[in-house]
Amino acid sequence: MRRWGGTSAPSRIGGLLVATAQLPSGKLQRWAKSPFFFNTVAHLLRIEREQARNLGELLEGLRACSDGSIFQHTFRTLQEHHFIREGFSNDFAHWAFEACNEIGLAERLASLDIREFTSIPTLRERIIAIIENYLKANSRARERAAMEPFYFCASDTIIIPTTVVARNLQEFADGLEKVSLNSIHYHFIDARLRLKLNSNDFSVWLDKEMDLGPLADRLNRIDIYTSTLQDVRRQIIRDIQFAM
Amino acid sequence: MKDQIQEKAAASATKEAHAATGTEALRERRKHPRISEKPPVPPPPPKLDDYVPIIGQAYIDELRYLAQRLRGKSLKMVNSTSVGGGVAEILNQLIPLMNELEIPTKWEVITGGNDFFEVTKGFHNALHGGEYNLSKDAKEIFLLYNEQNRQRMEFTEDIVVIHDPQPAGLIASKQNTRGKWIWRCHIDLSNPHPDVWGFLRPMVDQYDAAIFSSPSFARQLSIPQYLFYPCIDALSEKNKELDESYLNKVCDDFGIDRKRPIVTQISRFDRLKDPVGVIQAYKLAKKYVDCQLVLAGGGASDDPEGAVVLKEAQDEAGSDPDIIILNLPPWSALEINALQRVSTIVIQKSIKEGFGLTVAEALWKKKPVIAGAVGGIPTQVIHKLTGVLVHSVEGTAYQIRYLLTHPEFAAGLGRNGYEHVKENFLITSNVRRWLLLFQILLGTAHPSGPEQT
Repeated sequence: MRRWGGTSAPSRIGGLLVATAQLPSGKLQRWAKSPFFFNTVAHLLRIEREQARNLGELLEGLRACSDGSIFQHTFRTLQEHHFIREGFSNDFAHWAFEACNEIGLAERLASLDIREFTSIPTLRERIIAIIENYLKANSRARERAAMEPFYFCASDTIIIPTTVVARNLQEFADGLEKVSLNSIHYHFIDARLRLKLNSNDFSVWLDKEMDLGPLADRLNRIDIYTSTLQDVRRQIIRDIQFAM
Repeated sequence: MKDQIQEKAAASATKEAHAATGTEALRERRKHPRISEKPPVPPPPPKLDDYVPIIGQAYIDELRYLAQRLRGKSLKMVNSTSVGGGVAEILNQLIPLMNELEIPTKWEVITGGNDFFEVTKGFHNALHGGEYNLSKDAKEIFLLYNEQNRQRMEFTEDIVVIHDPQPAGLIASKQNTRGKWIWRCHIDLSNPHPDVWGFLRPMVDQYDAAIFSSPSFARQLSIPQYLFYPCIDALSEKNKELDESYLNKVCDDFGIDRKRPIVTQISRFDRLKDPVGVIQAYKLAKKYVDCQLVLAGGGASDDPEGAVVLKEAQDEAGSDPDIIILNLPPWSALEINALQRVSTIVIQKSIKEGFGLTVAEALWKKKPVIAGAVGGIPTQVIHKLTGVLVHSVEGTAYQIRYLLTHPEFAAGLGRNGYEHVKENFLITSNVRRWLLLFQILLGTAHPSGPEQT
């Protein structure tokens, strides 16, 4: 039986062989079945053809624009404004409020929680439905000119590998300290589109590779809308250190 | 006992006398501010690792990774002037960093006679919406000088970036080169003169990509259009950290009392920056709150209209001892930096604006900013989150009062503003954008869709 250092032998948890080692502090050091490779992303903003000068045109633009545009104005804008604790929701809500003065619509659009969506087409449909319902009750708002146009943009995204790898919780916590906020956003928020799960890369790894389901759940419940990304990073590290 | 009372009274009188003398000294200094008469020696350009304390090692590593994928590729930047103007300043900051990232970058400047620069100045105003008679001669002059420069230059680089309309005609060389060509437009094209734009557009459509500073400046083109915000260099003289002793010296030179609130606008003396409106707002606010107003700018010495606007501002200020108007020379980057840093509030009450990078400078220094909701300013100032946007003298006056009486809210705006600049408007962000664009155009990287990220 392979020993991983320290004095403890590997144990079985849930029927799975999990390598552990006892640290001098007496805590157990668990090794992952597969390491976690931290990636990060870089985005380039492209100006699209669609523009809107009223809510009617916004609807047309939403139907015609690319998936990359929906992603930019919802997921990406949250990253661009990650430092705002007061809550920055999405560009559509912001425009409805600031440029159109349609406060009821802005509230409804701001209530969209991107964590509930695992596909861009579904998110697009929801945004369109919110605006259509609003315009049914407020038909004059359709043609009312906004103070500023809405310009649809989209991201060209490139994934960048890093040299940061984690094979246990300590390395995972250390890695989280080192990587950029772009990496945190990529793994914690954008991941649900890739995974098609209401989860994130960190939680999936902790659950499947480290057999730490409860910790994975706790991470997944961190609120990104009332915290900055830096707060999210710190909270994840705190939760991991507590688990250790 | 009587001696003690007398001593205390004397000490108090001395203190009051010193205060009075101090105030008098400040007032005298304001009438005759000490302004530097010669430009300082420019410092060497910063290295990439100098930005680690600002944006973190992880971001610098990402830049190096992106640059590595471009190893062996070369770059040429072409513009119309090597000194003065925003583009030259940007290239002076950008090119050393590109070279440090081992992307050999050459900078070339087009040449032309007075007739060429008269035509391009006319184009510049016309592209901003001004009147212009686009004559056959003007077109021929433009094309002739572009052709002369085209014959003089070689375009062997993998990427060629042409800045602004003046050299746009160099695109005629593209068919004989292997490189990718990018047109970087720094001006506001939201309302161009149709004839001039109609003349330039067929040239722009031949590029592989175009870059604008705001979505509102973009046009309907057949090529991809990208958004690169104008950026500041956190390590430049205008933005680097300064010692307290230097801040005190600048205040002393200009007669500014650091013990009282300071409201500042830093801009050319230009009606579009509304310095008279700022003074009017200050006067309204001053009925309720104590503050000093500093209007610091330049352009009055070499621009006849600037001199008129300066006089208008001085007339509006009248004899108010708390209004300090400074006509600074072009080499006053450190003084401007200091003025922004000692300010309690920074105002940018523009009536019309391009991007308004002075706003980013103030936000970088964590100052609460009150700014006109025009041009690129709303991109930098998100109302009540990274600053406050105003539309009138009265609105400006109210916000001055509010921010001076709610310092915690003001400090929160300053903190958010700093983070907003760090995320979007630093030169390292633009280096990243350039590297990404080069990779995409050269095919060394392929963008992922949102559900593949």
